[in-house]
Amino acid sequence: MARNKYDIDEALESPFDIRHLKRAMVYVSRYKGRMIISLLLSAAAVVIGLFAPVITQHALDVTIPNKDIPGLILMAALLLLTIVVNITFATIRSRIMTKVGQDIIFDIRTDLFEHLQRLSFEYYDSRPHGKILVRIINYINSVSDTLSNGIITFILELFNLIFIAVFMFAMHWRMALVIMAGVPVLACFILIIKNKQRKAWQKVNNKSSNLNAYLHEGIVGVIVTQLFSREEENAEIFGKLSEAYRHDWMKAVTYNNLLWPMVDTISAIISAAIYFVGLLIIGPASVSLGTIVAMSSYASRFWQPILTLANLFNNFVNAVSYLERIFETLDEPVKVSDKEGAGELPKIEGNVRFDNVTFAYDESKTILENLSFSVKKGESVALVGPTGAGKTTIVNLISRFYDVTGGAVLIDEHNVSDVTLRSLRSQMGIMLQDSVVFSGTIEENIRYGRLDATHEEIVRACRTVCADEFIREFPKGYDTEITEGGSTLSQGQKQLIAFARTLVSDPKILVLDEATSSIDARTERLLQEGLQRLLEGRTSFIIAHRLSTIQNCDKIMYVSDRGITECGTHEELLAKKGDYYKLYNSRAS
Amino acid sequence: MFQVKWIWENLRGYRGRYIFALFLTMLTQIMYIANPIFGQQIVDTFIYNDRAAENLAEKRDLLIILCGCMIGFTVVRTAMQFSANMLYETCSQGMLAKIRNYLFANVQKQDMTFYDKNRTGDLMTRLSGDVDMVRHSVAWIIKTLLESIVLFTTTTIYFFVLDPLMALCLLALTPVIFIITGMFRKEVGPKYVDLRERLSRLNTRAQENISGNRVVRAFAREDYEIDLFREKNEDYAKANKTAAMTWLKYFPFIETTAQGLTVVQLIAGGIFVITGRLTMGEYVAFSGLIWTLSNPMRNVGTLINDLQRFMASATKIIEVYYSRPFIVDRVDAEKMPERLKGSIEFRNVSFKYEDNEVLKNVSFKIEPGETVAIMGETGSGKTSLINLIPRLYDPCGGEVLVDGVNVRFIKLKTLRKNIGVAMQDVLLWSDTIDGNIAFGRSDMSEEDVRLFAKAADAAEFIDNLNEGYETIIGERGVGLSGGQKQRISLARALAIRPSILILDDTTSAVDLETEKQIQDNLAALDFKCTKIIIAQRISSAKDADKIIILKGGKISEIGTHEELLRNENGYYKEIFDLQNGAVPDFAN
Repeated sequence: MARNKYDIDEALESPFDIRHLKRAMVYVSRYKGRMIISLLLSAAAVVIGLFAPVITQHALDVTIPNKDIPGLILMAALLLLTIVVNITFATIRSRIMTKVGQDIIFDIRTDLFEHLQRLSFEYYDSRPHGKILVRIINYINSVSDTLSNGIITFILELFNLIFIAVFMFAMHWRMALVIMAGVPVLACFILIIKNKQRKAWQKVNNKSSNLNAYLHEGIVGVIVTQLFSREEENAEIFGKLSEAYRHDWMKAVTYNNLLWPMVDTISAIISAAIYFVGLLIIGPASVSLGTIVAMSSYASRFWQPILTLANLFNNFVNAVSYLERIFETLDEPVKVSDKEGAGELPKIEGNVRFDNVTFAYDESKTILENLSFSVKKGESVALVGPTGAGKTTIVNLISRFYDVTGGAVLIDEHNVSDVTLRSLRSQMGIMLQDSVVFSGTIEENIRYGRLDATHEEIVRACRTVCADEFIREFPKGYDTEITEGGSTLSQGQKQLIAFARTLVSDPKILVLDEATSSIDARTERLLQEGLQRLLEGRTSFIIAHRLSTIQNCDKIMYVSDRGITECGTHEELLAKKGDYYKLYNSRAS
Repeated sequence: MFQVKWIWENLRGYRGRYIFALFLTMLTQIMYIANPIFGQQIVDTFIYNDRAAENLAEKRDLLIILCGCMIGFTVVRTAMQFSANMLYETCSQGMLAKIRNYLFANVQKQDMTFYDKNRTGDLMTRLSGDVDMVRHSVAWIIKTLLESIVLFTTTTIYFFVLDPLMALCLLALTPVIFIITGMFRKEVGPKYVDLRERLSRLNTRAQENISGNRVVRAFAREDYEIDLFREKNEDYAKANKTAAMTWLKYFPFIETTAQGLTVVQLIAGGIFVITGRLTMGEYVAFSGLIWTLSNPMRNVGTLINDLQRFMASATKIIEVYYSRPFIVDRVDAEKMPERLKGSIEFRNVSFKYEDNEVLKNVSFKIEPGETVAIMGETGSGKTSLINLIPRLYDPCGGEVLVDGVNVRFIKLKTLRKNIGVAMQDVLLWSDTIDGNIAFGRSDMSEEDVRLFAKAADAAEFIDNLNEGYETIIGERGVGLSGGQKQRISLARALAIRPSILILDDTTSAVDLETEKQIQDNLAALDFKCTKIIIAQRISSAKDADKIIILKGGKISEIGTHEELLRNENGYYKEIFDLQNGAVPDFAN
C-alpha cells in the first residue's frame, strides 16, 4: 500500500472532465426551482433597469426644458421607484441564492462525510489526516459561490450577450461581424491557457493539502517535536511547504490575471476597429453615422458581459480543481461494505469459525494461509506469538475490518461477509491498541459504547474495570472534560476508560488487542476479577503479552509466521514443550 | 485598531511594493475616466461635425492616431492594472507565508498547557481559514478602501468647484450611509465571530472523527458520527446564512441610498437648470461623474462586511500569534557543556495538574550511568514525574536538577538534546521509517539508523517490509503493531545518543523475548547514559540499580530488587509474587 506523506503531491488520475461540472449540477439541480425563480427575478430586474435611462432621457429632453417642476418631481419619483423595485428584486435573489449556495455545500459536505465513514481504516492509514480534513472543510467552502451565484450570473450574462448580439446583427451585420471577430481570438487564448491554468490550480491545491498535512501533524505531534528539539527544523520544513504553495499560487493567479487584460485589450481593439472600419473601409456613404456611434456603444456593451464571463471562467476553473478532489474522494471505493441484499446478523451466541481463511493485505505478501479453527460460544482465546505474526489480523477479520482473500469467517455459522457491518460490529466489542478518547466528558466517552446507557450502567462498567475510583478522585468526577492533549488522563487511565466503553456496549464477542498493556500489574489483577465476570457468557479473543492474562484463557493459540502452530490450554501447551513453552520460560529467566 | 497595525507590521518587506501597487491602482482609476476621451474625439471630429466629411478626407492620420491611442491607452492601463494586481498578490501571499510560518513556529513552542486548552481542529482553522481571510483583506479590502476614498474625495472637490450648493445636495446622503453602515457594523460583527466559531467546531468535529476512525469502526458508530457532524455542518451553514442575511437586511438601504444619488441629482440638478443656476453642460458633467460618488458609497457596505469578517479572523490569529509559552530559556541560564553527564536529582518536587496534586514532595537522586526503574499504579504520577526532566512541565514546588543544575537554568535545547524519550503514547510521523528514527538528528547516516534500529530490536521487522527503511508509515504510526511502533520510538530516542534515556512503558506491547533482547542491547550501548525506565513488569525492572515505587504521587519504596523484595508488605513484592505465580491463582 503506497502511503502518502506531507511532501508528496497526490497524483490525480482523471483528466479534465466536463463531467465534474455535470456531477456538480446534480447537487445544483436539487434547487432548480429556487434557481429559476432567482433567474426570473434577475431578468425582471434587468428589464426594469432599462427604464431608468428612458426616464432620465425624458426628463432631460422634455421636462427640464419645459421648466415643468411637478413633472420633474414625478420623473424623479418614477426613477426612485425603478431603483427600489430593482433593488428589492436583487435582494430577494441574493437571499434565495445565498441559501441555495449554503444548502449545496451542506449537501456535498454531508455526502463526503458519509462516504468517509464507509471507507475502511486503510484509507485513513494511507495518507496524512490533514489531507482528508482539508477536503471536508476548506475545499468545499471554496466552491459555494461558484455553484450558486456563479451559475445564475453565467446564465444571465450569456442571455445578455445573445440579446446584444441579436441587436447588433439586426442593425448592421457586417460591422457586427467585426465586433464578433474578437471572440475566436479570445477563444483561442482561453484554449491555450485553459490546460495550464487548470494544472496550475491543481498544483496549488496539492500544495495547500501538503501544507495542511504538515500543519496537522505538527500540532498533533508537538510533544515529540519539543522532546527532540526539532522546532526549528520543522519550522523550516513548514516554511518550504509554505513557499511551494506561494510559488504555485503566484503562477496560477498569473493565468487568472492574464485573462481579463486580454479581454479588455481585445475590446479596445474592437472599439477602435469599429470607427476604423465604419469610417474608412465601409465609409460614411454606405453606413449612417448614427449607426457607427450606436455600433461602437454596442461593442463595449457586448464585451462587458464577456469580461464578467471571463472572471467567472476563472472561478469555474478554480472550482473544478476543488471538485475534482472532492469527487475523487467520493469515488474512493469502499473496500468493505454490505453486500447487496446483506441480511441483519441475528442476535448471536458467539460461535466463531475460521474456514480455510487466507488473507493478504496486498498480493505480494500473504499474512494468513488456509487458517482453520473454531471457537465455541463463551470460550476465551488468547493469541500469543511474536509481534507482527498476524494476531491483530486474525481479530480484524472477525469484525470484518478486512475481507478475507479466501475461505470464510463464520459467526454462528453466518458468513460475516453476508451480513450488514452494523449488525455485526454492534454485537462485538473491540478494544484496540490505541485507546483513542474523544474530547468531551468521561461519561460521554464511555457512553460512546452504547448511546442509551444510563449513568448507573456507566458507573457499574467503571467499577468492573476499576476505573470508578480514579474517576471519582477528579473534582468533577464523571463530568471531567477530557482534553485532546489528554494530559488529564494517564495512558493507563485512558485504557481503563476505553475498557469501560467496550463493556457498556455489552458485546457477545469481545476482542481485546493489547488492551491492558499500559495498566499496572496491580490494577490489572483487580481488573482480572472484573474481567472474569466480563468474559462470562462472551466469546473473547485476547492478544496480550502478559502471561497472567493469558494463562487463564480456555484456549491459547500460538500464532507465528507459519500460522497457528500450537493450540490448547496453558497446561497442554506447557507439556508440549514447543514455542509457548519457550515463551513462558523466557519470562521466568 | 490593533489588527490593522499588526497587518502593517507583517507587511514589512513588502510595504514599498504594496504602496506602489496602490499608486498604480489610483492611476488606472484616473485612466478609466480618461479613456472615453478618444472615442469622444473621434465622434466630435469625424461624425457629429459639420465638416465631418472633409475631416475624414483630410485628417485620416488623426483618425488612425486616435484609434491607436484608444488601443494603446487600454494596453497601458491593463498592463498597469495587471502589474498592480500581481503586486497585491505578491505582497499578500508574502505576508500570508510570513504570518503562517511565524504562527507554526510559535505554536510549536507552546507549553503542553496551551494544547490542553486549544483543540487541534481549532488551531487548524486559525492557521488555514483565518489566515487566508487576512490575506484576502490585505489583497482586496485595503485596495478597495483606498480606491473608494480617492475617488470620492477627488470628485467631491471637483463638484465643490463646479457648484458648492449642488455638491452639498449630493453629499447630503453621505451621513445616511454612515448611519446605516454603523448600525450594520454593530449587528454583523458578532455574527462573524459566531460564524468562525462554528467553522472551528466543524473542523474539530471532522478532525476528531478522522483521528478516531478506528474507534468509530469498532463501535459501528458511523451513523452516530454522521448525525453529530450533520449537526455541526448545519450550524455552520446556518451561521453563514445568518451573517449573509444580516448583510442583505442592510444592503437594500445602502444600495437605495447610493443609487438615490441619481434621483437627488435629477431633482436638484433639474431645478437648478430650470432656475438657471446650472447650465445643461454642467449638469451633464455632474451626471457623468455621479458613479464616482455612488460606487464608494456602495462599497462602504461591502467593505464593512469584509472588515468585520477580517476582524473576527484576525482576533483569533492574534491570540495565537502573541501567545507565549511559560517554559522558556532564562536569560541567566547556566553555561553547560554540550553533552551532559546525566545525573538527576529531584528535591522535594511537587506537581499539580489543574487542581489535581499529582506529585507530592518527591526526592531522589540518580548518578550518571545508573539505571532506575519506576513502577506504580495507573495514575500514580509516573509519567508526570519524567515529564518534569525535559521540562515539558515545570514543577510547582521543589526543584529538578540535572548535573547539579536546576533544569530551569539549563537552555531547553541543551537539556532536551541530551534526553531521549520514548513515550508511552507513541507518536510517529507519516514519514519513512528512516525519517522517523532520524527525527532528532536528521543528518544521521543510514548505517546509524540501522544501528539504532538494531539496538531497539526493530531491524528484523523493518527489513521484512517491502520497502524497508523507506516504508512510509501512517500518521501516528498507524499500520504498525503496537510493539513495532514502540520499537521505532525506542530507536528514535536512542538515535540522539542521549545522556539520559527515558523509557515510558516502552516495551509493554512487545513480546517477552523481544524485551529481553532489548534489555541486553540497552546494557551494551556504546555511549554512557542514565536510564529511567517506567515499567509494569518485574522483568523490566529487576536489574535496575534502583527501583522507585510511586504511590499516589509519593515515593513509597525505593531500593534495589533484593532490597524491595525484603519488604513483605510492599507493592514490589506483591507484583513480584503476582507475576511469578507465587500467589494462589486469583482467577479461580
